[in-house]
Amino acid sequence: MENFASLISTLTEKIAKTKTLEQLEALRVEYLGRAGYLNTYVKTLKKDDLKKLGREINETKNKITQLLEEGIGSIQKSTASQKIDVTIPGTKPKIGHLHLMTQTINEIDDIFKKLGFARRRYPEVETDWYYAEGLNIPKDHPARDDQETFYVSDDTVLTAHTSNGQLREMELVKTPPIKMLNLGKTYRRQADASHNPMFHQFEGLVIDEGINITHLIGVLDFFVKNYFSADREIRLRPHHFQFTEPSFEIDITCDLCHGTGKVEDKRCRVCKAGWLELGGAGMVHPNVLKNGHIDPEKYTGFAFGWGVERVMMMKHHFTDDLRDIYSTNLKFLNQF
Amino acid sequence: MDIKLPHQLLVDYLKTTSTPRDIARALSLCGPTVDRLHQSTVDSVYDIEIITNRIDSVSAFGIAREAAAILPQFELNATLTHNPYELKISSLGKLPQKSPLNFQILDAAILPRLTCIALENVTVKDSPQKTQNILHSSGLRPLNNVIDISNELTLRFGLPVHIFDLDKIPENKLIMRESKKGETITTLDGKKHTLKGGDIVINDANGQLIDLCGIMGGESSMVDENTKNVLLFVPVYEPKRIRHTSLYTQNRSLAAQIYEKGPDPEITIGVLVEGVKLLQERAGGTISSQVFDFYPNPITSKTIKITQTQLDNFIGIELAPHQIETILTDLGFTVTTAKDAYSVKIPSWRDHDINIWPDLVEEIARVYGYFRLPKKLPLVKAVNIDTNPLLNNEMIAKNHLTTLGFTEILTSSLISAADFTHVNLPLKEAVKLQNPLSEDFEYLRTSLIPAILKTISQNQSQSQIKIYELSNVYYPDKKLAQEISTLTLGFKNLDFRTAKGHLEVLLNKLNCPIEFVPLENENEQFVKNQTAQIMIQKKSIGFFGVIKPKITRHFDINDMILAADLNFAFLNEFISHLHTATKIPRYASVFEDINLESNQTVTSLIKKIKAVSPLIINVDYLSSHENKHTFHLEFNDKKGNLTQKQVNQIKAKLLL
Repeated sequence: MENFASLISTLTEKIAKTKTLEQLEALRVEYLGRAGYLNTYVKTLKKDDLKKLGREINETKNKITQLLEEGIGSIQKSTASQKIDVTIPGTKPKIGHLHLMTQTINEIDDIFKKLGFARRRYPEVETDWYYAEGLNIPKDHPARDDQETFYVSDDTVLTAHTSNGQLREMELVKTPPIKMLNLGKTYRRQADASHNPMFHQFEGLVIDEGINITHLIGVLDFFVKNYFSADREIRLRPHHFQFTEPSFEIDITCDLCHGTGKVEDKRCRVCKAGWLELGGAGMVHPNVLKNGHIDPEKYTGFAFGWGVERVMMMKHHFTDDLRDIYSTNLKFLNQF
Repeated sequence: MDIKLPHQLLVDYLKTTSTPRDIARALSLCGPTVDRLHQSTVDSVYDIEIITNRIDSVSAFGIAREAAAILPQFELNATLTHNPYELKISSLGKLPQKSPLNFQILDAAILPRLTCIALENVTVKDSPQKTQNILHSSGLRPLNNVIDISNELTLRFGLPVHIFDLDKIPENKLIMRESKKGETITTLDGKKHTLKGGDIVINDANGQLIDLCGIMGGESSMVDENTKNVLLFVPVYEPKRIRHTSLYTQNRSLAAQIYEKGPDPEITIGVLVEGVKLLQERAGGTISSQVFDFYPNPITSKTIKITQTQLDNFIGIELAPHQIETILTDLGFTVTTAKDAYSVKIPSWRDHDINIWPDLVEEIARVYGYFRLPKKLPLVKAVNIDTNPLLNNEMIAKNHLTTLGFTEILTSSLISAADFTHVNLPLKEAVKLQNPLSEDFEYLRTSLIPAILKTISQNQSQSQIKIYELSNVYYPDKKLAQEISTLTLGFKNLDFRTAKGHLEVLLNKLNCPIEFVPLENENEQFVKNQTAQIMIQKKSIGFFGVIKPKITRHFDINDMILAADLNFAFLNEFISHLHTATKIPRYASVFEDINLESNQTVTSLIKKIKAVSPLIINVDYLSSHENKHTFHLEFNDKKGNLTQKQVNQIKAKLLL
């Protein structure tokens, strides 16, 4: 062991044979580690000998360290010179997937959160009062779509719209200002490519002193520009709902033909003259405010109710069939 | 409802140089929606959507009236012409002093108005080609000149009329009443109807039903090629009864769709006068009676007041008085302006849809143009603090599950009876629909386990599956239902410990102090000896374990399936988002493994180990072989480095 020179030359040989950084590390431990050659030797020396050999021991330590460093450098250099086929597909780790609808609901919720809307989820199984009568739709009225509503009993339904949330919210908050987003499951007796018996709607309601039509337009425009894109425009068409007055249908410019109605001189097959239907909206009918125990002489409000699946399909265009959204094929769901 | 309106019919009532394209665009923005404009070299046809409260626009004249008010707002000229409300009976000349019919009505409530007249010497033949074309373009079938006239009047004025063959009506006697249950009538399409009662019908002198009023005429009194004497019958019926009859007989004729929405009784005179003219021109008929007019309760026009302030505040911009007056007058309202308020007299055809001042705001704002209004965000100082963190916690849980590699599924709340029985769930505890769409969607589900198993079953090609659904399950509750947020996880091809580890990470991230307790009682879905009840503060929030193989085999699954079924609404009460953390020890820890032989559960052994000394800061369970268990212990002293002697002393205590 006193022969530091032979120690160095043996190490040099060993380093020359190494191919991996792990092998070099093993050599480091072997020579410089706590239980390595040098330390073991140093432990056997008496105090006087340690003083005499001190400088040589340090020089040997430094030399070993230097050789190992050089060894590391040369292995890294040779690794770096190997060509890697950068076009090979990577190995993808398996990740979890939120459902499309959850992602969409989050997006919608986030946009309305920015405007200070409270997020609610009101009952899916609802009494006729909250579902229709309280919303100014008397029994036997032509606006009633009894054929398309699921009944649990003569007076209880599965709600076909989230508008029941309007009355529920007025009951909850009692005195305006009210600013709510009710988002939940809704049901209709229809099943085809554009209709599923169960779907989702989101309902906005704003009631305060001085709320007017320009505010309805402002909020809906804010949503459309944030959810779709900044270059999309909306328009209002006169319509009729029993629970709003005035009532509107809201359209959005078609993204396929950019609102022109034409794609390469042919009529755009997706939209109607450059416009796509989004959903209904309107100023809350005074009778509905009264039914919510809010004074229509003092307060006004607006409301809108749109389909979650609808806006999602209009944004992403990955399917025309609403039923695909409820697929349980994991290969399909794991794309999102 | 939708109508098809040929442009050539529209311009009989609208004088304008505007193109159909301009008209379609302006109408859609300010009035009735034009869904499509079909243009050909011959004519243009508008597909128009008529909304339920605007039956006054279900005709060429009605649309023309809208266009006459709307087009000027786009600086396009437009004048309303040939207004049927201006027609008078006197224009028919001197009339024979005879009544057209012998009329009895048993209940005046069913008939707001009836106007009719008789004509003789009618010749039934084909309508002129122009008329036939108009009918075709409007989606109707030409039959003969007389029947075509009744249809044409509907297209022009929006009030369905009926033409009876008078010779088929004994003594010209018509008795109008409500039907009795069980009465029958064969309508002119050949269908025989057995009535429920309460329908508006007409019977003749022999007691036979000859008209299912408002829906379709009877076969026995219909016009045919031999008809010579006709009764031009222009009624307005009570809307609710018409709707009732129309829905249960499933006859949604154009007449029914119009009558159920309450057309204007004031238009009957004009329609009758035009009808007479057409019958004279095209069928050579001559008037053979007086005009019979039954109108017990004429509409009295109402006046609604609206102030400038109400208007401006509601629309959001200020409109000038002359703009307001022009719009309302063009629409047919009569406006008296005084100071800052408008007194508006409502015309008969808007009597039932204009009732309150917001209705007037709509008229003014829509014709002015919603597209001209600015976009403003409201300043609403609502203090919206969530009182229930459930929705927020659901999303946080979903995000953790995504991190843990789960795929979320979303399935229908409505399931079948079979779904219940296949999973041993009691049907009698479920909410049932009175009118399901099919057997597949008959009950609201009380568990998410069927959905989880179905999904696993449909994805057999996936070697390993980690899925969940977080949705409501439903139980009957007085009038409504308990809607309980539920989280159910499903695992295929993961061993018990690994699956349980996923659940533990989730519940730890939610800071829920959970305990897994062996099942004491038999469970319908889970294997008793391989399932834990999940407890928080001694309360049960759900189960985790192996699903009974008998159940999974029903779904064609042969693998062992693990599931966690949690009442998330209940779990929600225990979720905390306060961070807790232990400080990293200052002095190095000593790690040692020990083996213990015991029949106690692993959890109770861990508790015992920890209780031996506070210097044991962590116990990891490694594995077991029969009743020999291996644990990896971490020893640490906050005050200084532990010696091997101290560690050995503690280990000795453990092995006692």
